[in-house]
Amino acid sequence: MTQDPSQLKGKSLPPPRETSGAEALKALVTGFATTLKHLGRRPITEQYPEEKRELPARSRARIILTRDPDGAERCVACYLCSAVCPVSCISMQSIEGQGGRRMAAWFRINFGRCIYCGLCEEACPTSAIQLTPDYEHCQRAILKSVYEKEDLLVDHCGKDPDYNFYRHAGVATEGLDKGRHEKEAPPVNVRSNMP
Amino acid sequence: MPTLTIDNRPVTVPDGTKVITAAEQLGIMIPRFCYHPALGSVGACRVCAVGFKEGPIKGVEMSCMVDAQEGMVVATDDPDAVDLRKHVIELLMLHHPHDCPVCDEGGHCLLQDMTISGGHGRRRYAGAKRTHLDQDLGPLVQHEMNRCIQCYRCSRFYQQFCGYRDLGVTGIGTRVYFGRSEPGTLESPFSGNLTDICPTGVYTDKPSRFYGRRWDYERAPSVCIHCSLGCSLTVSARYRKAVRHEARFNAQVNGHFICDRGRYAYAYASQPERPRDALIAGRPATLAQAATQMSERLAAIEKGTGPDGIALMGSARSSLETQALLARLHSEKGWRTPCFSADDAATRVVSSALNTLNATNTIALTEIEGADTVLLVGADPIGEAPMLALALRQAQRDGSRIITVDPRPVTLPCAHDHIAVSGDDLATAVAHLIIGALEPSREIALDADQQDRFKTLKQETRDIPAAAELRAIGHALTTAWRPAFVCGTTVPDPDVPPLMGLLQALVQTSCMWSGLFFPLPGANTFGAHCLGGSDALFEPLLAAVEAGQVKALVVVENDLFSEYPDQQRLAAALESLELLVVMDCVPSAITARADIFLPTQTIYEAGGHYLNNEGRLQVATPVIAGGLSIMDTGGGNHPPREFREDIPGGTPRPAWQYVAGLATGETDPPDVKPLLDEALTAGVADGERVSLPSASREWPSIERIGAGPEGDAGGLTLIESAATFGSEPLAAFSTVLAELTPLFGVTVHSETAQRLGWRAGDRIVIPDSAPALEVVVTLDDRAAPGVLLVPRRIGIDRTALRRYMAHLLAE
Amino acid sequence: MVLDWLLGMIVLLVKLGLILGALLFGAAYLVWAERKFLARLQIRLGPNRAGKFGLLQPIADAMKMLTKEDLVPDGADTFVFKLAPVVVAVTAMLMFAVVPVAPDLVLFGRSIPMVIADLNVGLLFIFALSSLGVYGVALGGWASNSKFALLGGIRGAAQMISYELALGLSLVPVVMLAGSMSLTEIVAAQERVPFIILQPISFAIFVISAMAESKRIPFDLPEAENELGAGFHTEYSGMRFGLFFIGEYVHIQVLGALTAVFFLGGWRGPLLPPVIWLVLKIIFVALIMIWIRGTLPRLRYDQLMALGWKVLIPAALVNIVLTGVLILLV
Ligand code: SF4
Ligand code: SF4
Ligand code: SF4
Ligand code: SF4
Ligand code: FES
Repeated sequence: MTQDPSQLKGKSLPPPRETSGAEALKALVTGFATTLKHLGRRPITEQYPEEKRELPARSRARIILTRDPDGAERCVACYLCSAVCPVSCISMQSIEGQGGRRMAAWFRINFGRCIYCGLCEEACPTSAIQLTPDYEHCQRAILKSVYEKEDLLVDHCGKDPDYNFYRHAGVATEGLDKGRHEKEAPPVNVRSNMP
Repeated sequence: MPTLTIDNRPVTVPDGTKVITAAEQLGIMIPRFCYHPALGSVGACRVCAVGFKEGPIKGVEMSCMVDAQEGMVVATDDPDAVDLRKHVIELLMLHHPHDCPVCDEGGHCLLQDMTISGGHGRRRYAGAKRTHLDQDLGPLVQHEMNRCIQCYRCSRFYQQFCGYRDLGVTGIGTRVYFGRSEPGTLESPFSGNLTDICPTGVYTDKPSRFYGRRWDYERAPSVCIHCSLGCSLTVSARYRKAVRHEARFNAQVNGHFICDRGRYAYAYASQPERPRDALIAGRPATLAQAATQMSERLAAIEKGTGPDGIALMGSARSSLETQALLARLHSEKGWRTPCFSADDAATRVVSSALNTLNATNTIALTEIEGADTVLLVGADPIGEAPMLALALRQAQRDGSRIITVDPRPVTLPCAHDHIAVSGDDLATAVAHLIIGALEPSREIALDADQQDRFKTLKQETRDIPAAAELRAIGHALTTAWRPAFVCGTTVPDPDVPPLMGLLQALVQTSCMWSGLFFPLPGANTFGAHCLGGSDALFEPLLAAVEAGQVKALVVVENDLFSEYPDQQRLAAALESLELLVVMDCVPSAITARADIFLPTQTIYEAGGHYLNNEGRLQVATPVIAGGLSIMDTGGGNHPPREFREDIPGGTPRPAWQYVAGLATGETDPPDVKPLLDEALTAGVADGERVSLPSASREWPSIERIGAGPEGDAGGLTLIESAATFGSEPLAAFSTVLAELTPLFGVTVHSETAQRLGWRAGDRIVIPDSAPALEVVVTLDDRAAPGVLLVPRRIGIDRTALRRYMAHLLAE
Repeated sequence: MVLDWLLGMIVLLVKLGLILGALLFGAAYLVWAERKFLARLQIRLGPNRAGKFGLLQPIADAMKMLTKEDLVPDGADTFVFKLAPVVVAVTAMLMFAVVPVAPDLVLFGRSIPMVIADLNVGLLFIFALSSLGVYGVALGGWASNSKFALLGGIRGAAQMISYELALGLSLVPVVMLAGSMSLTEIVAAQERVPFIILQPISFAIFVISAMAESKRIPFDLPEAENELGAGFHTEYSGMRFGLFFIGEYVHIQVLGALTAVFFLGGWRGPLLPPVIWLVLKIIFVALIMIWIRGTLPRLRYDQLMALGWKVLIPAALVNIVLTGVLILLV
């Protein structure tokens, strides 16, 4: 229930709900009983360096830049991940790479700042940026936590084995001209329009 | 003035207003693609549908096509309209490629916005998408036709609005194609606007291609300083580098658009050659060392020779802050009056032109669009002030008559009458116009003294070949309702502007509205004039240097070599100085000679105030703090992983700060308004025109008209005038614009060519030029006979050119 | 005579040393115990890295505190700022001076009282010191020149002054029963029945007020880390913060000892030596306090005040009257 604060002006707030003595006593007893019961249970703590849990594939830790099934860099440096990152730890510079592809000249993630929220992965239109379950990359020197593109780039597709952005995009790149992407009609040309 | 109700709010708008515009006045943004305030409505995209509930029209209609009428009740959230818009978006998206991530429009794309706000999140169409082959449209505009939604904005803008024909539309249905008949560089010097008006990413900005996203850019409102019109810009910068200019709407100056010179001129600020360190005798020094040495040595010279031994040189591209502080330095220290241009001929014309302007006869650029006759004398808009040409085009589209009187073969993107008159005859030509305007009947309206003067004028005015035509035009001007008078300030001599003023004053009595418009040589020439600069000529200063009276020269943001014709004389004079201090943000012939060099900030770092050609005070906001771009410090790779307290390459300070250091030692930017008030004895506000004197009833002095041209009437004259690309000292550093700059050439009338034995396409190698200069001959019979026309070009050996031309003239 | 005096002096010094040592050691390991016990209440393990079962943790902590930078915030009243933690720690320790740890020991024919100072107004001494303790909190909060610390200090002062009243009143029946204010006498008076049996209400009021006095959860409003950072000691660092810490845990032991003395028969108990009994009772009280900490949430400020003034004080007063009536009748 929301109340308009202006309506409350001049009126005193409703008194807090009173609990009867029996109720209060019961609550106290349950509380103490609960904690007492816990005393007898086995602690659930996992002893990290000795016990290492196998994390599910979708756990969010160290970030990688994957490649498409043809082995080319997936990242097109669209700046969506850097835009969505709540702590602004991704920076990059896009350039025109070989074959007319847009790609990152450099791509930097500052893991000193990353909170592993996974929003970058969610925003990425090409499945390039992915979080992996590998969480053991603490560094003593802060600058070592700054990963460049070389450190991030892997030579596999990560969790998405199929997607290849440039097969769908429709922009002409080397070896894949207009009209030859998935579901495309042959291209119109100003010449083909002339009588 | 109908009153209608839109979304339950009443609004009253002028007759003929479209509903979409009426809604804008209430702050309601109806979706649109094809409608653009400057281009009008065509009803092509169907996304502006709204529901009409009551009144003359009922049902769902396009708000951009329906005129607002009394009693209309409009609902933008009408369920039928919303549903229609939703489907329209889906239709438009049917064939849209899946390439937002690699599209430079992404982030400021109207189609993205509409798709999201229309709620179309998932493609249902599973068929094959239409595709298009793209064209190479030159260095400025990138083409990606797949993204087109057929709003026709581009072809309407390019052909109807700008008057160029080389980009248009072919085909029907899914075959509609917007492009050129052949791939090739767009001919229009306004082509960059395509990137602004296309609501999707078909045309994107090529120089900043793939550089960044709108949301990452640091953006600030600024002013174009690449000609005197002072169009409004929005500057985008990222990683300490200005990468894009976009047009910013300004109802008085540029409207919605800007020209390509202004749009792509920014490269000078981040060029690798930009001087970023202080130099003493050519060797790097700290700013403090250089500044201290500058004040000490200037003080020593002042002691030795008196304050007269120090001269100040400003420029028309400096901000008012810098100019004003130079003026103050003069008044405080008694050093020589600052001079703001080394081109005395231009300074004289500017001075006479601006003294002709008054509170009633000055008009703004967009007002020219409403003129019904425009007379241009000695003005070449496309070269000197490109957006003026676009304003003329709009006037002409409304049926206005455009007349150019010029020795050059003026080309405009619209039909116009051209009268070729040699440069020295321009004053005579205007005199003929005046005679035409007063004869046969109107002279009786003059008082006795004026009649006397008119008689003298008639007697003194020589006959020239176009005299009869000019008189007829002069007469026709008296029947115009809204005539505008444009007069250049580089080609005509100083007598022309006052005569234009006289013509305007005479015509004004018989029309509804008229006005004078003077394109000036530099962005802040008006400021220099206001601060007393146009009285100070360069020639006497140079003479004083040669005579040894001036021992020290402080040059602020001015490359004298590109302004002063005799480069050898200038070099020798500078050599004889005891101390040459240069402050600038670009490398030039003079920065290399400086004893002390101080790097200055550009408009992107320092901002500043500028007075445009009609005296409008405009503000440029700083966009970046300065320093080398991260792209440079990282050498193209990632930025270095080092922590440092200073910004690499961040030494430059605003020029005014150095000047202030010499005068008062202030560190805050000076408030230019009181300084201007002092100079003009009148108040001035941002975005407003400075107060000009009220109209005087005096006729200008006309003694010189009869004197005829200096030299031989049958001889040759050399005219060096501004071209769209390559002439403006800062824009000349832009590499993309350099690609568009034509080969250096001379244009002559075919008769003249015959006399000289030249043929079209001849290449003349100028002897003894360094760097070697080759001139291509172009014939144009619209040029005045006897005129050798060359563009002003930064960095060419003008001495050798002039020497050669003088030798031709002598023959 | 001189010899007597000298011997007395030596015995006193030895007692002082022993008690001080025991208190500090106790404080250190009480921290350990609290962390362990609390962890188990929350199904965690607690400290287990420094030494076996984390037994060296207190030493590690002490080393950390000693080596941390000692910061005095800008604008703080330096002298008061430095004084405040000392006040807290010293008052807490001094309270132990009147606690009898065992019956008198007879050594070489001399009877040595197993208490540092058997004052006949021991109870008043304790109240006096616990009132002084308020200064540490209030001054520390004020001198820090920080809004959080100031709020914490003010809360602390108000809370401690309120509950001192209830604390004092709850002990009046004990004094009435024992007929003395000397702690040794009070212990002696429980030879047959510990007062917890005779005075359960007093006992309850005492324990609650004592917890409020020592600012423990659910009465930790002066620290209230989620509202005030760390309350009155927000700005303290290093060993100065350590002093506050020591003060708190010594205070817990003192309260445990006082509870034992006033209600649980002090050092009395079968089989085991008296000192051990006292220690066991202290540990028992401390564990109960930790258990409470692990169970109850922090009170709201109005609840805190209402509990003190509207429940505990009236109840204590009624209890006094009842006790008086009973004593008269029996
Ligand atoms: S996981 Fe979250 S914080 Fe880390 S880089 Fe991605 S968006 Fe940024
Ligand atoms: S969102 Fe994906 S494609 Fe875009 S820049 Fe980030 S990693 Fe590259
Ligand atoms: S190219 Fe752009 S401006 Fe031209 S019709 Fe297509 S979407 Fe409109
Ligand atoms: S017309 Fe002049 S002021 Fe306007 S954009 Fe072009 S160069 Fe700049
Ligand atoms: S904006 Fe009205 S139909 Fe396109």
